[in-house]
Amino acid sequence: MNVVRQFFDKLGPDMIRYTVDHLYLTFLAIVIAVAIAVPLGIYLARTRWVRLPPLVLGIAGVMQTVPSLALIAFIVLFFAIAGLSTIGFLPGLLALVLYALLPIMRNTYTGIRQVDPSVKEVAAGMGMQPRQVLVKVELPLALPVIMAGIRISTVWTIGIATLCGLIGAGGLGELIFRGLRSLPRTADYLVAGTIPAALLALAADALLGALERWLTPPGLRGEVSRAE
Amino acid sequence: MKIDFDNVTKVFANGTKAVDGLTLSVNEGETLVLLGTSGSGKTTSMKMVNRLIEPTSGRIAIDGTDIMEQDPISLRRGIGYAIQHIGLFPHMTVAENIAVVPGLLGWEETAIRSRVDELLNLVGLGPTLFRDRYPNQLSGGQRQRVGVARALAADPPIVLMDEPFGALDPITREQLQQEFLELESEIRKTIIFVTHDVFEAVKMGDRVAILDKGRLQQAAPPAELVESPGNEFVDSFLGQHRFQLSLLTRPIDSLVEQDGNYPRPAPEEARPVLRRRDSLVKALDMFKQTGRRELPVCRRREIVGILSKKRLLAEITRVLGELEATA
Repeated sequence: MNVVRQFFDKLGPDMIRYTVDHLYLTFLAIVIAVAIAVPLGIYLARTRWVRLPPLVLGIAGVMQTVPSLALIAFIVLFFAIAGLSTIGFLPGLLALVLYALLPIMRNTYTGIRQVDPSVKEVAAGMGMQPRQVLVKVELPLALPVIMAGIRISTVWTIGIATLCGLIGAGGLGELIFRGLRSLPRTADYLVAGTIPAALLALAADALLGALERWLTPPGLRGEVSRAE
Repeated sequence: MKIDFDNVTKVFANGTKAVDGLTLSVNEGETLVLLGTSGSGKTTSMKMVNRLIEPTSGRIAIDGTDIMEQDPISLRRGIGYAIQHIGLFPHMTVAENIAVVPGLLGWEETAIRSRVDELLNLVGLGPTLFRDRYPNQLSGGQRQRVGVARALAADPPIVLMDEPFGALDPITREQLQQEFLELESEIRKTIIFVTHDVFEAVKMGDRVAILDKGRLQQAAPPAELVESPGNEFVDSFLGQHRFQLSLLTRPIDSLVEQDGNYPRPAPEEARPVLRRRDSLVKALDMFKQTGRRELPVCRRREIVGILSKKRLLAEITRVLGELEATA
Protein backbone atom coordinates (compact mmCIF):
# COMPACT_ATOMS: atom_id res chain seq x y z
CA MET A 1 0.00 0.00 0.00
CA ASN A 2 2.83 2.26 0.87
CA VAL A 3 4.24 2.05 -2.64
CA VAL A 4 0.94 2.99 -4.19
CA ARG A 5 0.57 5.86 -1.83
CA GLN A 6 4.05 7.14 -2.55
CA PHE A 7 3.38 6.84 -6.25
CA PHE A 8 0.24 8.96 -6.05
CA ASP A 9 1.80 11.47 -3.69
CA LYS A 10 4.61 12.01 -6.14
CA LEU A 11 2.82 11.76 -9.47
CA GLY A 12 -0.91 12.15 -8.74
CA PRO A 13 -1.09 15.91 -9.49
CA ASP A 14 0.96 15.43 -12.68
CA MET A 15 -1.25 12.59 -13.83
CA ILE A 16 -4.35 14.71 -13.41
CA ARG A 17 -2.81 17.75 -15.06
CA TYR A 18 -1.47 15.83 -18.06
CA THR A 19 -4.67 13.81 -18.44
CA VAL A 20 -6.66 17.04 -18.58
CA ASP A 21 -4.16 18.40 -21.11
CA HIS A 22 -4.45 15.25 -23.12
CA LEU A 23 -8.22 15.37 -23.13
CA TYR A 24 -8.21 19.03 -24.08
CA LEU A 25 -5.84 18.43 -27.00
CA THR A 26 -7.85 15.45 -28.23
CA PHE A 27 -11.20 17.17 -27.78
CA LEU A 28 -10.10 20.29 -29.61
CA ALA A 29 -8.62 18.24 -32.46
CA ILE A 30 -11.83 16.22 -32.85
CA VAL A 31 -14.07 19.30 -32.73
CA ILE A 32 -12.00 20.97 -35.45
CA ALA A 33 -11.86 17.75 -37.49
CA VAL A 34 -15.64 17.28 -37.25
CA ALA A 35 -16.21 20.90 -38.26
CA ILE A 36 -14.12 20.36 -41.38
CA ALA A 37 -14.77 16.71 -42.25
CA VAL A 38 -18.57 16.48 -41.86
CA PRO A 39 -19.42 19.37 -44.23
CA LEU A 40 -16.72 18.15 -46.62
CA GLY A 41 -18.11 14.60 -46.51
CA ILE A 42 -21.63 15.91 -47.16
CA TYR A 43 -20.36 17.95 -50.08
CA LEU A 44 -18.47 14.98 -51.52
CA ALA A 45 -21.56 12.78 -51.24
CA ARG A 46 -23.68 15.28 -53.14
CA THR A 47 -21.34 16.76 -55.71
CA ARG A 48 -22.01 15.99 -59.34
CA TRP A 49 -18.29 16.00 -60.04
CA VAL A 50 -17.71 12.25 -59.83
CA ARG A 51 -13.90 12.46 -59.82
CA LEU A 52 -13.74 14.66 -56.74
CA PRO A 53 -14.67 12.14 -53.99
CA PRO A 54 -11.99 9.56 -54.89
CA LEU A 55 -9.44 12.37 -55.21
CA VAL A 56 -10.13 13.97 -51.84
CA LEU A 57 -10.55 10.66 -50.03
CA GLY A 58 -7.33 9.48 -51.69
CA ILE A 59 -5.35 12.47 -50.45
CA ALA A 60 -6.78 12.03 -46.96
CA GLY A 61 -5.90 8.35 -47.17
CA VAL A 62 -2.27 9.14 -47.98
CA MET A 63 -2.14 11.46 -44.98
CA GLN A 64 -3.41 8.57 -42.89
CA THR A 65 -0.82 6.15 -44.24
CA VAL A 66 2.17 8.35 -43.35
CA PRO A 67 3.43 7.10 -39.96
CA SER A 68 2.25 9.46 -37.26
CA LEU A 69 5.74 10.21 -36.05
CA ALA A 70 6.81 11.14 -39.57
CA LEU A 71 3.78 13.39 -39.97
CA ILE A 72 4.60 15.18 -36.74
CA ALA A 73 8.20 15.60 -37.81
CA PHE A 74 7.07 16.93 -41.16
CA ILE A 75 4.78 19.47 -39.51
CA VAL A 76 7.60 20.62 -37.24
CA LEU A 77 9.76 21.10 -40.33
CA PHE A 78 6.95 23.03 -42.00
CA PHE A 79 6.58 25.25 -38.92
CA ALA A 80 10.33 25.83 -38.85
CA ILE A 81 10.40 26.88 -42.49
CA ALA A 82 7.41 29.14 -41.94
CA GLY A 83 9.27 30.75 -39.06
CA LEU A 84 6.75 29.62 -36.44
CA SER A 85 7.44 28.08 -33.08
CA THR A 86 8.25 24.39 -33.59
CA ILE A 87 7.45 23.27 -30.09
CA GLY A 88 4.22 23.31 -28.22
CA PHE A 89 0.54 23.08 -28.72
CA LEU A 90 -0.09 24.25 -32.30
CA PRO A 91 2.01 21.83 -34.36
CA GLY A 92 0.69 18.94 -32.25
CA LEU A 93 -2.90 20.03 -32.75
CA LEU A 94 -2.40 20.34 -36.50
CA ALA A 95 -1.04 16.80 -36.74
CA LEU A 96 -3.97 15.41 -34.77
CA VAL A 97 -6.55 17.26 -36.87
CA LEU A 98 -4.99 15.95 -40.09
CA TYR A 99 -5.09 12.44 -38.69
CA ALA A 100 -8.68 12.65 -37.47
CA LEU A 101 -10.08 13.99 -40.74
CA LEU A 102 -10.17 10.85 -42.82
CA PRO A 103 -12.36 8.46 -40.79
CA ILE A 104 -14.94 11.18 -40.19
CA MET A 105 -14.96 12.38 -43.79
CA ARG A 106 -15.06 8.88 -45.22
CA ASN A 107 -17.86 7.76 -42.93
CA THR A 108 -19.91 10.89 -43.61
CA TYR A 109 -19.47 10.30 -47.32
CA THR A 110 -20.35 6.60 -47.28
CA GLY A 111 -23.10 7.11 -44.68
CA ILE A 112 -24.91 9.47 -47.01
CA ARG A 113 -24.14 7.51 -50.14
CA GLN A 114 -25.55 4.30 -48.71
CA VAL A 115 -28.99 5.84 -48.14
CA ASP A 116 -31.31 3.93 -50.44
CA PRO A 117 -31.85 5.96 -53.65
CA SER A 118 -35.54 5.06 -53.67
CA VAL A 119 -35.92 6.58 -50.20
CA LYS A 120 -34.32 9.80 -51.45
CA GLU A 121 -36.45 9.79 -54.56
CA VAL A 122 -39.64 9.33 -52.61
CA ALA A 123 -38.60 12.23 -50.37
CA ALA A 124 -38.12 14.44 -53.42
CA GLY A 125 -41.33 13.09 -54.94
CA MET A 126 -43.27 14.14 -51.86
CA GLY A 127 -42.07 17.70 -52.33
CA MET A 128 -39.03 18.06 -50.08
CA GLN A 129 -36.45 20.64 -51.11
CA PRO A 130 -32.92 19.22 -51.58
CA ARG A 131 -31.96 20.76 -48.20
CA GLN A 132 -34.93 19.09 -46.54
CA VAL A 133 -34.01 15.74 -48.07
CA LEU A 134 -30.53 16.17 -46.55
CA VAL A 135 -31.66 17.27 -43.10
CA LYS A 136 -34.80 15.15 -42.67
CA VAL A 137 -33.77 11.98 -44.48
CA GLU A 138 -30.11 11.60 -45.44
CA LEU A 139 -28.41 12.86 -42.28
CA PRO A 140 -30.60 10.97 -39.80
CA LEU A 141 -30.07 7.78 -41.77
CA ALA A 142 -26.30 8.41 -42.03
CA LEU A 143 -25.89 9.48 -38.39
CA PRO A 144 -24.87 6.09 -36.96
CA VAL A 145 -22.15 5.74 -39.61
CA ILE A 146 -20.90 9.30 -39.06
CA MET A 147 -20.79 8.70 -35.30
CA ALA A 148 -18.77 5.53 -35.86
CA GLY A 149 -16.24 7.63 -37.80
CA ILE A 150 -16.00 10.13 -34.96
CA ARG A 151 -15.49 7.31 -32.48
CA ILE A 152 -12.67 5.75 -34.52
CA SER A 153 -11.00 9.14 -34.95
CA THR A 154 -11.23 9.92 -31.24
CA VAL A 155 -9.67 6.64 -30.16
CA TRP A 156 -6.83 7.06 -32.66
CA THR A 157 -6.29 10.66 -31.67
CA ILE A 158 -5.96 9.75 -28.00
CA GLY A 159 -3.22 7.32 -29.00
CA ILE A 160 -1.39 9.62 -31.39
CA ALA A 161 -1.64 12.54 -28.97
CA THR A 162 0.88 10.74 -26.73
CA LEU A 163 3.45 11.26 -29.51
CA CYS A 164 2.85 14.97 -29.30
CA GLY A 165 4.72 14.82 -26.01
CA LEU A 166 7.85 14.74 -28.17
CA ILE A 167 7.31 18.29 -29.32
CA GLY A 168 6.10 19.59 -26.01
CA ALA A 169 2.44 19.81 -26.98
CA GLY A 170 1.46 18.63 -23.52
CA GLY A 171 -0.55 15.57 -22.62
CA LEU A 172 0.33 12.20 -21.20
CA GLY A 173 3.10 11.78 -23.80
CA GLU A 174 5.26 14.13 -21.73
CA LEU A 175 5.09 11.74 -18.76
CA ILE A 176 5.78 8.72 -20.99
CA PHE A 177 8.85 10.27 -22.60
CA ARG A 178 10.14 11.45 -19.27
CA GLY A 179 9.74 7.88 -18.03
CA LEU A 180 11.57 6.46 -21.04
CA ARG A 181 14.55 8.73 -20.57
CA SER A 182 16.34 6.92 -17.73
CA LEU A 183 14.77 3.56 -17.11
CA PRO A 184 14.41 1.72 -14.82
CA ARG A 185 14.76 4.56 -12.34
CA THR A 186 11.91 6.52 -13.95
CA ALA A 187 9.57 3.59 -14.48
CA ASP A 188 6.98 5.32 -12.27
CA TYR A 189 6.65 8.13 -14.84
CA LEU A 190 6.11 5.57 -17.56
CA VAL A 191 3.29 3.96 -15.60
CA ALA A 192 1.77 7.35 -14.75
CA GLY A 193 1.60 8.16 -18.47
CA THR A 194 0.68 4.88 -20.11
CA ILE A 195 -2.10 3.65 -17.82
CA PRO A 196 -4.24 6.82 -18.03
CA ALA A 197 -3.66 6.97 -21.82
CA ALA A 198 -4.89 3.40 -22.24
CA LEU A 199 -7.86 3.97 -19.93
CA LEU A 200 -8.76 7.18 -21.77
CA ALA A 201 -8.87 5.35 -25.10
CA LEU A 202 -11.00 2.56 -23.70
CA ALA A 203 -13.37 4.98 -21.96
CA ALA A 204 -13.74 7.12 -25.09
CA ASP A 205 -14.52 4.04 -27.16
CA ALA A 206 -17.20 2.88 -24.71
CA LEU A 207 -18.76 6.33 -24.22
CA LEU A 208 -18.91 7.20 -27.89
CA GLY A 209 -20.20 3.70 -28.66
CA ALA A 210 -23.05 4.32 -26.24
CA LEU A 211 -23.70 7.74 -27.80
CA GLU A 212 -23.73 6.13 -31.23
CA ARG A 213 -26.43 3.68 -30.17
CA TRP A 214 -28.38 6.41 -28.46
CA LEU A 215 -28.30 8.60 -31.58
CA THR A 216 -29.33 5.74 -33.87
CA PRO A 217 -32.95 6.32 -34.81
CA PRO A 218 -35.06 3.64 -33.10
CA GLY A 219 -36.38 2.45 -36.44
CA LEU A 220 -32.85 1.49 -37.46
CA ARG A 221 -31.84 -0.35 -34.32
CA GLY A 222 -31.32 -4.03 -34.83
CA GLU A 223 -32.95 -5.11 -31.60
CA VAL A 224 -36.37 -3.71 -32.52
CA SER A 225 -38.63 -6.71 -32.70
CA ARG A 226 -40.57 -7.42 -35.84
CA ALA A 227 -44.22 -7.74 -35.02
CA GLU A 228 -46.75 -9.15 -37.42
CA MET B 1 -58.23 16.88 -61.91
CA LYS B 2 -57.40 15.89 -65.43
CA ILE B 3 -53.93 14.98 -66.69
CA ASP B 4 -53.00 15.28 -70.36
CA PHE B 5 -49.90 13.86 -71.98
CA ASP B 6 -49.39 15.49 -75.35
CA ASN B 7 -46.81 13.85 -77.60
CA VAL B 8 -44.43 13.37 -74.66
CA THR B 9 -40.98 11.95 -75.32
CA LYS B 10 -38.18 11.21 -72.87
CA VAL B 11 -34.66 10.46 -74.05
CA PHE B 12 -32.20 9.77 -71.23
CA ALA B 13 -28.64 11.08 -71.24
CA ASN B 14 -27.34 7.69 -72.36
CA GLY B 15 -29.53 7.87 -75.47
CA THR B 16 -32.27 5.48 -74.37
CA LYS B 17 -35.66 6.55 -75.60
CA ALA B 18 -37.76 5.59 -72.58
CA VAL B 19 -41.00 7.22 -73.69
CA ASP B 20 -41.78 7.87 -77.32
CA GLY B 21 -44.54 10.24 -78.39
CA LEU B 22 -47.01 9.45 -75.61
CA THR B 23 -50.40 11.07 -76.00
CA LEU B 24 -52.85 10.07 -73.32
CA SER B 25 -55.45 11.63 -71.05
CA VAL B 26 -56.30 10.66 -67.53
CA ASN B 27 -59.80 11.83 -66.69
CA GLU B 28 -60.93 13.39 -63.44
CA GLY B 29 -61.59 10.73 -60.82
CA GLU B 30 -60.32 7.95 -63.03
CA THR B 31 -57.81 5.23 -62.19
CA LEU B 32 -55.55 4.80 -65.19
CA VAL B 33 -53.21 1.83 -65.10
CA LEU B 34 -49.92 1.98 -67.00
CA LEU B 35 -49.16 -1.63 -67.86
CA GLY B 36 -46.01 -3.01 -69.41
CA THR B 37 -42.86 -5.03 -68.90
CA SER B 38 -39.73 -3.47 -67.42
CA GLY B 39 -38.30 -1.01 -69.92
CA SER B 40 -41.70 -0.26 -71.37
CA GLY B 41 -41.55 3.33 -70.10
CA LYS B 42 -44.45 3.01 -67.66
CA THR B 43 -42.57 4.25 -64.58
CA THR B 44 -40.82 7.00 -66.55
CA SER B 45 -44.20 8.19 -67.83
CA MET B 46 -45.53 8.33 -64.29
CA LYS B 47 -42.50 10.11 -62.84
CA MET B 48 -42.82 12.84 -65.44
CA VAL B 49 -46.13 13.88 -63.89
CA ASN B 50 -44.46 15.06 -60.66
CA ARG B 51 -41.30 16.08 -62.50
CA LEU B 52 -39.01 13.55 -60.86
CA ILE B 53 -38.13 13.08 -64.52
CA GLU B 54 -38.59 15.92 -66.98
CA PRO B 55 -39.81 15.31 -70.53
CA THR B 56 -37.40 15.87 -73.41
CA SER B 57 -40.22 17.13 -75.59
CA GLY B 58 -43.98 17.33 -75.55
CA ARG B 59 -46.26 18.72 -72.91
CA ILE B 60 -47.89 17.42 -69.75
CA ALA B 61 -50.75 19.49 -68.38
CA ILE B 62 -52.79 19.20 -65.21
CA ASP B 63 -56.20 20.78 -65.68
CA GLY B 64 -54.79 22.58 -68.71
CA THR B 65 -51.72 24.07 -66.97
CA ASP B 66 -48.34 22.95 -68.26
CA ILE B 67 -46.47 21.36 -65.34
CA MET B 68 -43.18 22.82 -66.59
CA GLU B 69 -44.56 26.25 -65.76
CA GLN B 70 -45.19 25.24 -62.13
CA ASP B 71 -42.78 25.18 -59.22
CA PRO B 72 -41.75 21.51 -58.93
CA ILE B 73 -41.77 21.57 -55.13
CA SER B 74 -45.33 22.82 -54.76
CA LEU B 75 -46.43 20.65 -57.70
CA ARG B 76 -45.15 17.57 -55.86
CA ARG B 77 -46.74 18.55 -52.57
CA GLY B 78 -50.08 18.54 -54.36
CA ILE B 79 -49.63 15.04 -55.78
CA GLY B 80 -49.77 11.88 -53.66
CA TYR B 81 -46.90 9.49 -54.28
CA ALA B 82 -46.62 5.85 -53.24
CA ILE B 83 -43.98 3.38 -54.32
CA GLN B 84 -43.38 -0.25 -53.59
CA HIS B 85 -41.24 -1.82 -50.93
CA ILE B 86 -38.83 0.59 -49.29
CA GLY B 87 -40.82 3.77 -49.77
CA LEU B 88 -41.31 4.45 -46.04
CA PHE B 89 -38.68 6.42 -44.14
CA PRO B 90 -37.15 3.84 -41.79
CA HIS B 91 -36.13 6.39 -39.15
CA MET B 92 -39.62 7.83 -38.78
CA THR B 93 -42.59 6.34 -36.98
CA VAL B 94 -45.77 5.48 -38.84
CA ALA B 95 -47.30 8.78 -37.72
CA GLU B 96 -44.21 10.78 -38.75
CA ASN B 97 -44.17 9.10 -42.15
CA ILE B 98 -47.80 9.96 -42.81
CA ALA B 99 -47.28 13.51 -41.52
CA VAL B 100 -44.47 14.39 -43.94
CA VAL B 101 -46.43 16.26 -46.59
CA PRO B 102 -48.84 17.97 -44.16
CA GLY B 103 -45.72 19.02 -42.25
CA LEU B 104 -44.11 20.42 -45.40
CA LEU B 105 -47.33 22.29 -46.10
CA GLY B 106 -47.16 23.82 -42.63
CA TRP B 107 -50.32 22.34 -41.14
CA GLU B 108 -50.93 22.85 -37.44
CA GLU B 109 -49.81 20.13 -35.05
CA THR B 110 -53.33 19.23 -33.94
CA ALA B 111 -54.66 19.11 -37.50
CA ILE B 112 -51.82 16.79 -38.49
CA ARG B 113 -52.44 14.49 -35.56
CA SER B 114 -56.14 14.08 -36.24
CA ARG B 115 -55.46 13.58 -39.96
CA VAL B 116 -52.95 10.83 -39.17
CA ASP B 117 -55.47 9.01 -36.98
CA GLU B 118 -58.19 9.43 -39.58
CA LEU B 119 -55.97 7.93 -42.29
CA LEU B 120 -54.82 5.05 -40.11
CA ASN B 121 -58.44 4.17 -39.51
CA LEU B 122 -59.13 4.50 -43.22
CA VAL B 123 -56.47 1.92 -44.10
CA GLY B 124 -57.49 -0.36 -41.25
CA LEU B 125 -54.60 0.15 -38.83
CA GLY B 126 -55.69 1.11 -35.31
CA PRO B 127 -54.04 4.46 -34.48
CA THR B 128 -53.25 3.68 -30.84
CA LEU B 129 -51.53 0.46 -31.81
CA PHE B 130 -49.69 1.62 -34.92
CA ARG B 131 -49.06 5.37 -34.61
CA ASP B 132 -45.72 5.07 -32.86
CA ARG B 133 -44.34 1.96 -34.54
CA TYR B 134 -41.40 2.02 -36.90
CA PRO B 135 -41.56 0.53 -40.41
CA ASN B 136 -39.35 -2.40 -39.39
CA GLN B 137 -41.96 -3.35 -36.82
CA LEU B 138 -44.62 -3.79 -39.48
CA SER B 139 -45.46 -6.64 -41.81
CA GLY B 140 -45.21 -6.08 -45.56
CA GLY B 141 -48.94 -5.55 -45.90
CA GLN B 142 -49.04 -3.07 -43.03
CA ARG B 143 -46.19 -1.12 -44.57
CA GLN B 144 -48.00 -0.83 -47.88
CA ARG B 145 -51.10 0.40 -46.05
CA VAL B 146 -49.03 3.10 -44.39
CA GLY B 147 -47.59 3.92 -47.83
CA VAL B 148 -51.09 4.42 -49.20
CA ALA B 149 -52.12 6.48 -46.16
CA ARG B 150 -49.04 8.66 -46.59
CA ALA B 151 -49.83 9.27 -50.25
CA LEU B 152 -53.32 10.43 -49.28
CA ALA B 153 -52.18 12.51 -46.30
CA ALA B 154 -52.71 16.01 -47.64
CA ASP B 155 -55.80 14.92 -49.58
CA PRO B 156 -54.21 15.48 -53.01
CA PRO B 157 -56.50 15.38 -56.04
CA ILE B 158 -53.93 13.28 -57.93
CA VAL B 159 -52.16 10.16 -56.68
CA LEU B 160 -49.28 8.37 -58.39
CA MET B 161 -48.71 4.74 -57.42
CA ASP B 162 -45.72 2.74 -58.61
CA GLU B 163 -46.41 -0.96 -58.03
CA PRO B 164 -47.71 -0.14 -54.56
CA PHE B 165 -48.59 -3.77 -53.87
CA GLY B 166 -45.56 -5.18 -55.68
CA ALA B 167 -43.57 -6.74 -52.87
CA LEU B 168 -46.38 -8.68 -51.22
CA ASP B 169 -47.39 -12.32 -51.09
CA PRO B 170 -50.36 -13.13 -53.35
CA ILE B 171 -52.93 -13.37 -50.56
CA THR B 172 -52.02 -10.08 -48.84
CA ARG B 173 -51.79 -8.48 -52.25
CA GLU B 174 -55.28 -9.58 -53.24
CA GLN B 175 -56.62 -8.30 -49.93
CA LEU B 176 -54.96 -4.91 -50.30
CA GLN B 177 -56.14 -4.57 -53.88
CA GLN B 178 -59.69 -5.24 -52.75
CA GLU B 179 -59.42 -2.79 -49.87
CA PHE B 180 -57.94 -0.16 -52.11
CA LEU B 181 -60.75 -0.53 -54.63
CA GLU B 182 -63.28 0.07 -51.86
CA LEU B 183 -61.27 3.00 -50.52
CA GLU B 184 -60.88 4.42 -54.00
CA SER B 185 -64.61 4.38 -54.67
CA GLU B 186 -65.04 6.60 -51.62
CA ILE B 187 -62.27 9.09 -52.21
CA ARG B 188 -62.53 9.51 -55.99
CA LYS B 189 -59.03 10.61 -56.88
CA THR B 190 -57.37 10.85 -60.24
CA ILE B 191 -54.92 7.97 -60.01
CA ILE B 192 -52.06 6.80 -62.19
CA PHE B 193 -51.20 3.26 -61.21
CA VAL B 194 -48.11 1.52 -62.59
CA THR B 195 -47.88 -2.26 -62.70
CA HIS B 196 -46.43 -5.12 -64.72
CA ASP B 197 -49.15 -7.49 -63.52
CA VAL B 198 -51.91 -7.96 -66.09
CA PHE B 199 -54.43 -9.14 -63.51
CA GLU B 200 -53.73 -6.26 -61.18
CA ALA B 201 -54.12 -3.86 -64.11
CA VAL B 202 -57.48 -5.29 -65.11
CA LYS B 203 -58.69 -5.34 -61.53
CA MET B 204 -57.59 -1.85 -60.49
CA GLY B 205 -58.02 0.20 -63.65
CA ASP B 206 -60.99 2.10 -64.99
CA ARG B 207 -58.82 2.16 -68.06
CA VAL B 208 -55.58 0.36 -68.83
CA ALA B 209 -52.84 1.78 -71.04
CA ILE B 210 -50.44 -0.83 -72.39
CA LEU B 211 -46.94 0.41 -73.18
CA ASP B 212 -44.13 -1.29 -75.02
CA LYS B 213 -40.68 0.16 -75.75
CA GLY B 214 -41.95 3.59 -74.75
CA ARG B 215 -44.88 3.58 -77.14
CA LEU B 216 -48.53 3.46 -76.21
CA GLN B 217 -50.12 0.33 -77.68
CA GLN B 218 -53.69 0.72 -76.55
CA ALA B 219 -55.60 2.54 -73.83
CA ALA B 220 -59.06 1.20 -73.09
CA PRO B 221 -61.33 -0.06 -70.34
CA PRO B 222 -60.23 -3.55 -69.22
CA ALA B 223 -63.14 -5.38 -70.85
CA GLU B 224 -62.54 -3.73 -74.19
CA LEU B 225 -58.83 -4.46 -74.01
CA VAL B 226 -59.48 -8.13 -73.35
CA GLU B 227 -62.29 -8.56 -75.86
CA SER B 228 -60.86 -6.53 -78.72
CA PRO B 229 -57.10 -6.02 -78.51
CA GLY B 230 -56.07 -3.15 -80.75
CA ASN B 231 -52.93 -4.69 -82.19
CA GLU B 232 -50.80 -7.79 -82.24
CA PHE B 233 -48.67 -6.75 -79.29
CA VAL B 234 -51.66 -6.28 -77.00
CA ASP B 235 -53.09 -9.56 -78.25
CA SER B 236 -49.93 -11.51 -77.47
CA PHE B 237 -49.32 -9.62 -74.20
CA LEU B 238 -52.70 -10.67 -72.86
CA GLY B 239 -52.70 -13.89 -74.91
CA GLN B 240 -52.03 -16.71 -72.51
CA HIS B 241 -54.25 -15.18 -69.81
CA ARG B 242 -57.22 -14.48 -72.05
CA PHE B 243 -59.60 -16.89 -70.30
CA GLN B 244 -58.90 -15.67 -66.77
CA LEU B 245 -58.94 -12.07 -67.97
CA SER B 246 -62.33 -12.55 -69.62
CA LEU B 247 -63.72 -13.92 -66.40
CA LEU B 248 -62.24 -10.95 -64.55
CA THR B 249 -63.56 -8.31 -66.91
CA ARG B 250 -67.00 -9.61 -67.96
CA PRO B 251 -69.78 -8.39 -65.72
CA ILE B 252 -72.58 -10.63 -64.46
CA ASP B 253 -75.08 -8.03 -65.64
CA SER B 254 -76.64 -10.06 -68.46
CA LEU B 255 -77.01 -13.17 -66.28
CA VAL B 256 -79.14 -11.55 -63.60
CA GLU B 257 -82.69 -12.93 -63.52
CA GLN B 258 -85.37 -10.41 -62.89
CA ASP B 259 -89.13 -10.79 -62.51
CA GLY B 260 -92.05 -8.94 -61.02
CA ASN B 261 -90.74 -9.47 -57.49
CA TYR B 262 -87.84 -7.08 -58.07
CA PRO B 263 -86.67 -4.57 -57.20
CA ARG B 264 -87.39 -4.92 -53.55
CA PRO B 265 -85.61 -3.61 -50.47
CA ALA B 266 -82.62 -5.62 -49.32
CA PRO B 267 -82.82 -7.03 -45.79
CA GLU B 268 -80.09 -5.76 -43.50
CA GLU B 269 -78.38 -9.13 -43.22
CA ALA B 270 -78.05 -9.52 -46.98
CA ARG B 271 -74.28 -9.38 -47.05
CA PRO B 272 -72.11 -10.05 -48.88
CA VAL B 273 -73.96 -8.92 -51.96
CA LEU B 274 -73.25 -8.91 -55.66
CA ARG B 275 -73.63 -5.94 -57.92
CA ARG B 276 -74.41 -5.89 -61.61
CA ARG B 277 -70.95 -4.70 -62.56
CA ASP B 278 -69.15 -7.38 -60.58
CA SER B 279 -67.09 -9.83 -62.62
CA LEU B 280 -67.77 -13.50 -63.25
CA VAL B 281 -64.78 -14.33 -61.04
CA LYS B 282 -66.11 -12.32 -58.13
CA ALA B 283 -69.48 -14.05 -58.42
CA LEU B 284 -67.78 -17.42 -58.58
CA ASP B 285 -65.76 -16.60 -55.45
CA MET B 286 -68.87 -15.57 -53.63
CA PHE B 287 -70.67 -18.79 -54.49
CA LYS B 288 -67.65 -20.65 -53.18
CA GLN B 289 -67.62 -18.66 -49.92
CA THR B 290 -71.33 -18.84 -49.18
CA GLY B 291 -72.03 -22.34 -50.52
CA ARG B 292 -75.37 -21.09 -51.83
CA ARG B 293 -77.02 -21.82 -55.16
CA GLU B 294 -78.51 -18.40 -55.66
CA LEU B 295 -77.31 -14.97 -54.67
CA PRO B 296 -79.16 -11.64 -54.65
CA VAL B 297 -77.83 -8.87 -56.86
CA CYS B 298 -78.17 -5.42 -55.40
CA ARG B 299 -78.12 -1.80 -56.36
CA ARG B 300 -77.73 0.51 -53.41
CA ARG B 301 -80.16 -0.89 -50.80
CA GLU B 302 -82.37 -2.76 -53.24
CA ILE B 303 -82.27 -6.28 -54.57
CA VAL B 304 -82.68 -5.97 -58.33
CA GLY B 305 -82.50 -9.65 -59.23
CA ILE B 306 -81.08 -13.09 -58.62
CA LEU B 307 -78.01 -14.82 -59.98
CA SER B 308 -78.00 -18.61 -60.03
CA LYS B 309 -74.84 -20.64 -59.83
CA LYS B 310 -76.04 -22.76 -62.73
CA ARG B 311 -76.29 -19.79 -65.09
CA LEU B 312 -72.93 -18.48 -63.99
CA LEU B 313 -71.21 -21.81 -64.68
CA ALA B 314 -72.95 -22.07 -68.05
CA GLU B 315 -71.66 -18.61 -68.96
CA ILE B 316 -68.11 -19.49 -67.92
CA THR B 317 -68.25 -22.62 -70.10
CA ARG B 318 -69.56 -20.49 -72.95
CA VAL B 319 -66.65 -18.00 -72.60
CA LEU B 320 -64.20 -20.86 -72.66
CA GLY B 321 -65.81 -22.26 -75.82
CA GLU B 322 -65.78 -18.82 -77.43
CA LEU B 323 -62.05 -18.46 -76.80
CA GLU B 324 -61.28 -21.92 -78.09
CA ALA B 325 -63.17 -21.08 -81.26
CA THR B 326 -61.08 -17.94 -81.88
CA ALA B 327 -57.77 -19.58 -80.95
